[in-house]
Amino acid sequence: MAHSRGTNGSKLFMIVLYMVAACGAIPIRDLLDRASQGSDKLHSLSTTLTQDLDSHFPSTGRVIMPRPSMCHTSSLQTPNDKEQALQVSESDLLSLARSLLQAWEDPLVALSTSANTLPHPAQGAIFNKIQELQEHSKSLGDGLNVLSGKMGPGAQTISLLPYMGGNEIGQDRISQLINFNFLLSCFRRDSHKIDSFLKILRCRAAEMLPEMC
Amino acid sequence: MAALSSSSNLLLLLLMSSLDWLSTPGSAFFMGRHRVTSPAPLEPHITECISRDQTTFQCWWSPGNFHNLSSPGSLRLFYIRKDSPTSEWKECPEYVHSNRECFFDVPHTSIWITYCMQLRSQNNITYYNEEDCFHVENIVRPDPPLSLNWTLLNISPSGLNYDVMVNWEPPPSADVRAGWMRLEYEIQYRARNATKWEALEMQPQTQQTIFGLHTGKEYEVHIRCRMLAFIKFGEFSDSIFIQVTEVPSKEASFPLTLVLVFGIVGILILVMLIVVSQQQRLMMILLPPVPAPKIKGIDAELLKKGNLDELNFILSGGGMGGLPTYATDFYQDEPWVEFIEVDAEDADTGEKEDNQGSDIQRLLDLTQPVSHHMNIGFSNTVSFPDDDSGRASCYDPDLPDQDTLMLMATLLPGQPEDGEASLDIVKRAPAPERGERPLVHTQTGGPQTWVNTDFYAQVSNVMPTGGVVLSPGQQLRIQEGTSGAEEETRKKGKEHKSSEDSEEDKEKEKELQFQLLVVDPEGGSYAAESNARQVGAPPSSPMPGGGYQTIHPQPAETKPAAAAEDNLSPYILPDSPQSQFFARVADYTVVQEVDNQHSLLLNPPPRQSPPPCLPQHPLKALPAMPMGYITPDLLGNLSP
Repeated sequence: MAHSRGTNGSKLFMIVLYMVAACGAIPIRDLLDRASQGSDKLHSLSTTLTQDLDSHFPSTGRVIMPRPSMCHTSSLQTPNDKEQALQVSESDLLSLARSLLQAWEDPLVALSTSANTLPHPAQGAIFNKIQELQEHSKSLGDGLNVLSGKMGPGAQTISLLPYMGGNEIGQDRISQLINFNFLLSCFRRDSHKIDSFLKILRCRAAEMLPEMC
Repeated sequence: MAALSSSSNLLLLLLMSSLDWLSTPGSAFFMGRHRVTSPAPLEPHITECISRDQTTFQCWWSPGNFHNLSSPGSLRLFYIRKDSPTSEWKECPEYVHSNRECFFDVPHTSIWITYCMQLRSQNNITYYNEEDCFHVENIVRPDPPLSLNWTLLNISPSGLNYDVMVNWEPPPSADVRAGWMRLEYEIQYRARNATKWEALEMQPQTQQTIFGLHTGKEYEVHIRCRMLAFIKFGEFSDSIFIQVTEVPSKEASFPLTLVLVFGIVGILILVMLIVVSQQQRLMMILLPPVPAPKIKGIDAELLKKGNLDELNFILSGGGMGGLPTYATDFYQDEPWVEFIEVDAEDADTGEKEDNQGSDIQRLLDLTQPVSHHMNIGFSNTVSFPDDDSGRASCYDPDLPDQDTLMLMATLLPGQPEDGEASLDIVKRAPAPERGERPLVHTQTGGPQTWVNTDFYAQVSNVMPTGGVVLSPGQQLRIQEGTSGAEEETRKKGKEHKSSEDSEEDKEKEKELQFQLLVVDPEGGSYAAESNARQVGAPPSSPMPGGGYQTIHPQPAETKPAAAAEDNLSPYILPDSPQSQFFARVADYTVVQEVDNQHSLLLNPPPRQSPPPCLPQHPLKALPAMPMGYITPDLLGNLSP
């Protein structure tokens, strides 16, 4: 039901956004503000999720984890430092954010599925948070879609980053946990990217209002 | 089988990880968790890597227990950026050997990319830890905020607590303006001598309120920050000290308010006391009393007593004090008003005031031979035959009026103020100016000097012998004498002509002794008012000739008034003990008593027995009587 609620909420949000966007009433600044709030939430959720996961991670000594470069979104060329990030155009920034967000649509489903049967003490909380992640991701994606409509053609480009993992993240308990952890770390990185890009966008748009940054 | 497969998977994984590039940093390092130290002898390792602004970072290493490697340069740091499969290990771009530190400048710093650190000794021994891989954004520890400052928000009314607003600036290295780093701040404070810090909730704003600080205590406050949704905190800023001393004004205001309140309450109580204590005076000032109705000559007590008879009598001008009878017309309407009859043969009582003058004249004409009229002051008189009604008389008919009057005057309470009163009465009695009513007016004149004008009786008739028949006032309450009652019966409807009846009665009555016959004027000429009582004097009948004292006119000396006013002649006092008094007072007589029929008795006889020779006039000691007149009962108190 939380899912439906989120869906309804996101739908409502979308309706409002579309209507407003159609009227052009809401300035980009506000949209960006709303979007960056969403990305804030997303990133925070992922952080707490990884913390929950680590709190009871089976102490198997050294944790063997896949490299972050093995994240399915690593192929996307994103600015890696401050200079680069501040030089990227707004459209590109938005495009990157949207691409990343969209790339995680499927993996989040896989994560949600596996969280049902995750052999972890905090499985329930993890599962709920995964659900929340999905909702926020969805709403943010919709908001970014609306935003992209106002920011020019460059923002419309979305790089496809398909996820090849399928819904199965592991057969045995340890692999499940490892894969789960890995995916989450990838997601956390990408959520931080999205958040950073949107924040940069917001601060660029709110030159007159430094307090927004 | 399953176990085999799982174990084989695990092995495979291990192989892969070992062969391949290093796996992602262990979650412990990645998440900043406390690193699990290996039980082996401490080999050179990376101590810590920190980034302050997400654009550069530094790594420190330690030789561990390998002291032979502690010399600078014996250990070299290599790093690798796993952003592409073809990346290689590189050496530290910048060494700070003094610190065993490797500084990665901006070009060598990238975020969202995995960095792994490695230590190599001179002889290519590699000390590498899988957990030393990280993302730069995860190792960021921001600089502490700057310009920590505080302002006082408010102080509680009791002055014991206060709130403070703390504000600061974000570290410039964070480049918050550009949105590069989003920070959240944590304020911690503690009292000066406390050991434990109080931490406030983290929030991304650059100001925060601290509530509930105690005045007089000194507080230490510092702040730190970290990246939003990250774990590692930066360093604490320098502490600032907050202290708010007790504000005396606050303390003073509280008692001041109390003093003010109490002062107002006290003043209110004082005002109330004054109002209550001075109520009478205040009421006098605020609500002046309406003057009570006061009629000159009438005692207020009489009004209160509500004795209508007396009151009416007095109001009608009959009282001694005599109200000024303003309206001579008043008496015109009164049927019972009688005036002096000049002659017995005239005997037309009931003349109105317009006849008065003629009556008076007649009176005066008859001064010498006939009895003098005495104006007792009552307007109502009934003439009656002047013949003595057979009243046993012990009185010297020749008693001079004046003397009698004088005596009466003196004897009666409520006397006129001066000894001249009697004379005045004499004077006044014949008050001619008021033509219609000299009698009455005399009274009025008299009252000015006479407090009580009960002394007067109106002459109702003049006997042929010269005696004057006096009539009481209408409302004059007459002493409860049996005679009065009898008189009453006689009075009713009594005609002038029927006065003889009363005469007869008179004889047996003590009224015989009455010097004055007061006849109640009947309706019309002889209005027999219910109130009007007849003194048991010879009613309209020309009275008890014998009983009357004939006052010989002693006009000369006794009638100065008469001279003054020619209207009246000296009164004739009926025979009575007071006759001698009457003789002294020529012009008027003094009512001694009023019997129960409201007839004036100039010399009321003793109640029980026929008129003794002794002037029985009840000149007893007069009881206290209301000012202005004598009540019948009081008349009895009159004593010569």
